Amino acid sequence: MKINLKILDASYLYGENEISSLNTKKIVPKMMQRRRLTKASKLLLELMNNIRFTKGRIIYGTAFGELLATSKILKSILNEETVSPTDFQNSVYNTAVSYASILHNNEEEILTISSGDHTSLSVLKVAAVKAMDNDELLLLCSETINIENIDVLNKCQNYLECAVALRVKITQEEESLFYKTNKSEINVPISMRAMLNIAMNFKKSANVIGVEV
Amino acid sequence: MTKFNTVYINHFDCISCAGDNSLDLFESICLNKNTLTLDEYYVPSKISCIGKISTNKTFDQLLYEKCLNVLNNSSLQNFDDTLLIVGSSVGGMLHTENSYLKNKDYKNIDYKKHMISSIAVFLQEKFSFRDDVSFSTACTSSANALAYAKEVINKGIYKNVLVVGIDSLSHTTVCGFSGLSVLSSEPCKPFDKNRNGMNVSEAIAVLLLQDKKEENSLLFCGVGYSSDAHHMTQPHPEGKGAKRAMQNALFSGNIDIKDVDYINAHGTGTKANDASETAAIHSLFKNYKPYVCSTKSITGHTLGASGALEAIITCMVLQKQIITPNNNLNEIENNELNFPLQTIEKKVSYALSNSFAFGGNNTSLLFGLC
Repeated sequence: MKINLKILDASYLYGENEISSLNTKKIVPKMMQRRRLTKASKLLLELMNNIRFTKGRIIYGTAFGELLATSKILKSILNEETVSPTDFQNSVYNTAVSYASILHNNEEEILTISSGDHTSLSVLKVAAVKAMDNDELLLLCSETINIENIDVLNKCQNYLECAVALRVKITQEEESLFYKTNKSEINVPISMRAMLNIAMNFKKSANVIGVEV
Repeated sequence: MTKFNTVYINHFDCISCAGDNSLDLFESICLNKNTLTLDEYYVPSKISCIGKISTNKTFDQLLYEKCLNVLNNSSLQNFDDTLLIVGSSVGGMLHTENSYLKNKDYKNIDYKKHMISSIAVFLQEKFSFRDDVSFSTACTSSANALAYAKEVINKGIYKNVLVVGIDSLSHTTVCGFSGLSVLSSEPCKPFDKNRNGMNVSEAIAVLLLQDKKEENSLLFCGVGYSSDAHHMTQPHPEGKGAKRAMQNALFSGNIDIKDVDYINAHGTGTKANDASETAAIHSLFKNYKPYVCSTKSITGHTLGASGALEAIITCMVLQKQIITPNNNLNEIENNELNFPLQTIEKKVSYALSNSFAFGGNNTSLLFGLC
């Protein structure tokens, strides 16, 4: 079954080592709230600010989750030190989108998908099924893999931070934006590519995608 | 107009510290068996009470056997119209930990085995499902997997969905909860005045959901989601999000609160969770008092697997028409709820199963007799 989704708005960010010049201070003025945020949550808040989405259902995807918090926990365990409560609470895969829900007081359904290289494609598929209920959805995907010594594992990705947001709604309109699921104009993690491809090619004359579920 | 196919739970199987299959699990709960063990391996210089599966097999072998058993018991000839949905909070963390703690660097970590999706990749190699998707929302992971499974069958997109809730014990989770100071050194006592925290545990729970009724089918009636929008680890003190999740599940199943006979509580045994969930249930059900039971004093908290494991327990309550007891509950902290202290044979028509997670992610599932 193919479901068509209309892209209402899109935003994306990517950086070789890290994405700088974020507006986090402006978006989260309270320092106590800001200091606990993970890099992924800052990226999501930036994108949500860009496309003016605060409340509603969100489908979020990340293949690697919160690698920095995970790496700090592993280091603590290796050194037989107590695991930091903040690192532990920030290590779950739904951390980034949960901070966004707390800061926006968003009490709606929020799901996190982690389907490896297919993550952003899976976000699109789940969103297409959910969109059959006729509401507007926010789709988010991010990877933040710029941890210390990541070069030991990462031999092929140039862009270690990447995030994308799509605001979508089901439509009967014909497909006008054709996207690649695992190829990208830039070398970001494969998990990001389907959604990033859509966001990068989105324009008013090409804003309807078909999703095979 | 969107289709609305009925969803049936047709087959299930599981393994946890409370037993090698669902019958053993239910017996352990009803007979208050000693299932949790004291451990000094995970947290140095500290005794933790955890739930460990007793086996010589690898976790992958157990996973394969449980899935094979469920699929063999079904009438499926192939999996061309079957979706695999995995719910897990740690995925392949055990592989990562083993490599990192042995070599003290990342060099030999296989990142593909680290990912949550490694479980689905392994099962796809064995069974070739039409597609797969993995959910990771901490302790609601497999509840959300079940909820999405219901949705794709309701909407006529799939006829069959295999849901796997799975989490293995790991240093990360045991030491992490220890760092949060909520890990108990004895079997947990949910809803008890003298509670002293939770028990981290491991499990594999597998359920086959289909759009066709079979002899022992149970109805998957409703799903309710909500977000607390309150705090990363602390649930809303008045249980607002938990209440809304249960309300949404009842609304989606078109079931009145007075039709609910049993609630399998999230009931971790931490003060914050118990107080929040108690407030939520009392606020929703008011003077009507369904039986409320936490089974985590026997299974431990199986984290991402708990939604699926407790869905199986809830289905067995319906199948056997037996209310499970709150083992270890000696001094009830809040008498506003109806906590069974022993097994009770009773007509049970509808039952809720609650799962709550870090980030204020709440999911409530509603099951019923066919």
